[in-house]
Amino acid sequence: MRPAADAGTVLATRALVSGYERDLPIVRGVDMAVRKGEFLLLLGPNGAGKSTLVKTIAGLVPVHSGAVLHQGADVTAMEPHLRVRHGVAFVPQTENVFTTMTIHENLLVAAQVLPKDRRAGRIADLCAMFPDLARLKALRAGQLSGGQRQMLAVARALIVEPSVLILDEPSAGLAPKVVQEVFANLKAINAAGVTTVLVEQNVKAALAIADRAIVLVEGEVRLEGDARALGDDAVMAELYLGSRHRKAEARP
Amino acid sequence: MIDLLSYGAFFLSVALTYAVISLGLNVQWGQTGLFNVGIAGFVAVGAYVSALLTTPEAADHLGGFGLPIAAGWLGAALATGFVTLLVGALTIRLRSDYLAIATFGAAVAIHLCILNLQSVTGGPFGIGFIPRAFAGLADRPLAFSLANLALLAAVVLALYLALEHLARSPWGRVLRAIREDEPAALALGKSAVRFRLQAFALGGAIMGLAGAAQAHFIGYIAPDNYQPILTFQVWAMLIVGGSGNNRGAILGALVVWGIWALSASAVASLFPPEQQARAASLQIVMIGLALCAILLWRPRGILGEARILSRHVLRPTSPVAPSPSTTSET
Amino acid sequence: MTPQVLMDGLVAGAMIGLGAIGITLTYSILRFSNFSHGEFLSWGAYLVLAVASGLGYLAGGPAGPIGPFSFGWTLPVALVAGIALTAGLALVVDALLFGPLRHRGSAVIILVMASFGVALTLRSLLEFVFTSKPVYFTDALQIARPLGFGLRATPDQLLALGLAAVLVVAIHLLMTRTAIGRSMRAVSENRQLAGIAGIDVRMVIRTVWIFGAGLACVAGVMSGLLVQIRPQMGLDLLLPLFAAAILGGIGSVPGAMIAGLIVGLAEAMTVQLVGAEWRAAVAFVILVAILLLRPRGLFGRPE
Repeated sequence: MRPAADAGTVLATRALVSGYERDLPIVRGVDMAVRKGEFLLLLGPNGAGKSTLVKTIAGLVPVHSGAVLHQGADVTAMEPHLRVRHGVAFVPQTENVFTTMTIHENLLVAAQVLPKDRRAGRIADLCAMFPDLARLKALRAGQLSGGQRQMLAVARALIVEPSVLILDEPSAGLAPKVVQEVFANLKAINAAGVTTVLVEQNVKAALAIADRAIVLVEGEVRLEGDARALGDDAVMAELYLGSRHRKAEARP
Repeated sequence: MIDLLSYGAFFLSVALTYAVISLGLNVQWGQTGLFNVGIAGFVAVGAYVSALLTTPEAADHLGGFGLPIAAGWLGAALATGFVTLLVGALTIRLRSDYLAIATFGAAVAIHLCILNLQSVTGGPFGIGFIPRAFAGLADRPLAFSLANLALLAAVVLALYLALEHLARSPWGRVLRAIREDEPAALALGKSAVRFRLQAFALGGAIMGLAGAAQAHFIGYIAPDNYQPILTFQVWAMLIVGGSGNNRGAILGALVVWGIWALSASAVASLFPPEQQARAASLQIVMIGLALCAILLWRPRGILGEARILSRHVLRPTSPVAPSPSTTSET
Repeated sequence: MTPQVLMDGLVAGAMIGLGAIGITLTYSILRFSNFSHGEFLSWGAYLVLAVASGLGYLAGGPAGPIGPFSFGWTLPVALVAGIALTAGLALVVDALLFGPLRHRGSAVIILVMASFGVALTLRSLLEFVFTSKPVYFTDALQIARPLGFGLRATPDQLLALGLAAVLVVAIHLLMTRTAIGRSMRAVSENRQLAGIAGIDVRMVIRTVWIFGAGLACVAGVMSGLLVQIRPQMGLDLLLPLFAAAILGGIGSVPGAMIAGLIVGLAEAMTVQLVGAEWRAAVAFVILVAILLLRPRGLFGRPE
């Protein structure tokens, strides 16, 4: 399926092949496009390359061939910090906050990307969005709980007013109740207009908040479509829930 | 002609003593991955122990044991092995660059002891009259040179065969397992620290043996012979020849010693006699630059296995993903 | 043991501390032990000497001493130039050698080996150009003035202590209160995360080299002023520098200075009690003790 390369596309990849080692590509030719304002979900079994794909988009994994496009510009060779300034915000799965620095300092660091006069205002905006963080401002990030760290990581990414927010398995290692909160937060952020790309293993919960989903298997796009439709899809069921379920689903 | 042969034999003999040090370093680094930046200290221990065991009674240093040369060499290897064991016990669990600093410090401490414990070691004046092998041939220079050369060649050959055999032995295989996949080796119940310590001590003992061989070959030793530059020379030899590889260690010693001697005479000839110290400095500058160039362009040396280095190569840590045109081949 | 040991120790410790700050910064951000750091001290001293001599020549004669100090106006001016030049040297070495090795993902050990090669090259270059003969910034003799409590110090020594104190405070404030300091701490904790948080890591690395080399230059000039200038001076200080950086805790600026003072005092006491020839062993003993007992040092992060 050819991605729609129109003015509404915020982020796209073209025949992207990437991997840490030259002779071992993990992403093997991915074409995808993210439309402005949408909530895109990246799914796939372990080792499919979802994490590697988003890390490539963020600039952390070497590109072997193909391109990464952001708002029409080719950013394939751009350094990570410049991509951030361009508007690509990435929240990695682990080690996503500076544990030796306070919450406030974490936000200050992120705000350095903005012009001086906007920094304080933006930090205040985020403190209003995440009152828990505002309350604990002086605490070192290393002292926060898993859920609070996740919040801080997302807040840090949002400070730069990104045109696309990318998250790699934010629910990993969190208690189910906390996961619900995180997902509700992400849905609200997306509803406020932030284009969101989410990599997740927690398929059912994630499909419920996304608009569209792409399924990666062994570095290639296997399935693509509307989130709700994919939730019923037989192939999806096969991939994730096993053939037992497929028989159960195949009711008239 | 005879002079040339004599000189050639002399040159080769010194190169071979360096080859022994390189072989010892290869046990520590190539087989075990331990970064020893204090080589000069261990060589010094071997040299001094052997000298003290074999020299006749002297007023300015400990002596008078008058043991045969072979005993001196054996004592040197054992003593250095022991000292290395001590240093290793203190430092072997450290991460690689802390180990480098600690071994560097050990060499400084050893150098200081040699320099200051004057009544034992002769202090800055060193120890002379160290008995030389085949002393009976002293009046026939060529035969003397060739005999010593043959002895050293035999030592290197024996050491090479022994180390190759050791590498293929069960002990060697455990060491390789620890190097390649430590968690797996540990799961089998092998104590990594114990094996590494043994390898470290063995390497040190070999370095001590080389120190003794050098001492008896030249006949005179002093603290000044064992400065960081010696450590640097041996590392250069192992890198150029190919680390992880016993043949590489020997080849590297011959090549680097050759380059060193050649460049020394070339540079020296450019300078008047009173500027010889300057000439020596310039020579070291050139060698330093050459080593940096090799690290940059061919870190695996002449005979080195790409795998050794690639084992040590980390994932690129730079935030910019290297462009597809630069490969991670070493 | 005379109280003078305290002054000697503090002065030596201040120089070690300044150098150790440079090591702790480059180590925490670049993640390798730079064996060539000592050479930035030596080069700093020689570069300042060269510039000061040049200035003196242009001014038509050696400058008279300023106030109670032993040096003239040429030294402070030359110091500023020297800091810039030494920083430049560090940047060149990084651009030519360490940077490319880092970029290709070379192991720590290769970087350390390269730094060893750089150290030897730089030191021998100094020996080649200036020979091993000790040289001095000035011929003026300084008289130690009594301070009370049995302590005596020359004006130069007091100036050195004061300057070291000011620099430590300044650098500490920079690290904790400014944007560049936060960036440096961020890169030191997690280079990848710093990149995706918008920090220009390459710029931070250049900044670290500039600070490290600049501080080394000041330390080298102090040592040259208070003792003497020789090509070996950096190498002689290398072990104390490492010991202080590790004792203080890698990444801690105040820690490096405090540890430097501790090492300096320990050395001074050893000279008094045991003998000057054993001075160099003190750093080794401290190093081993710290690595055995508390590898993260006094103020370092637990690994």
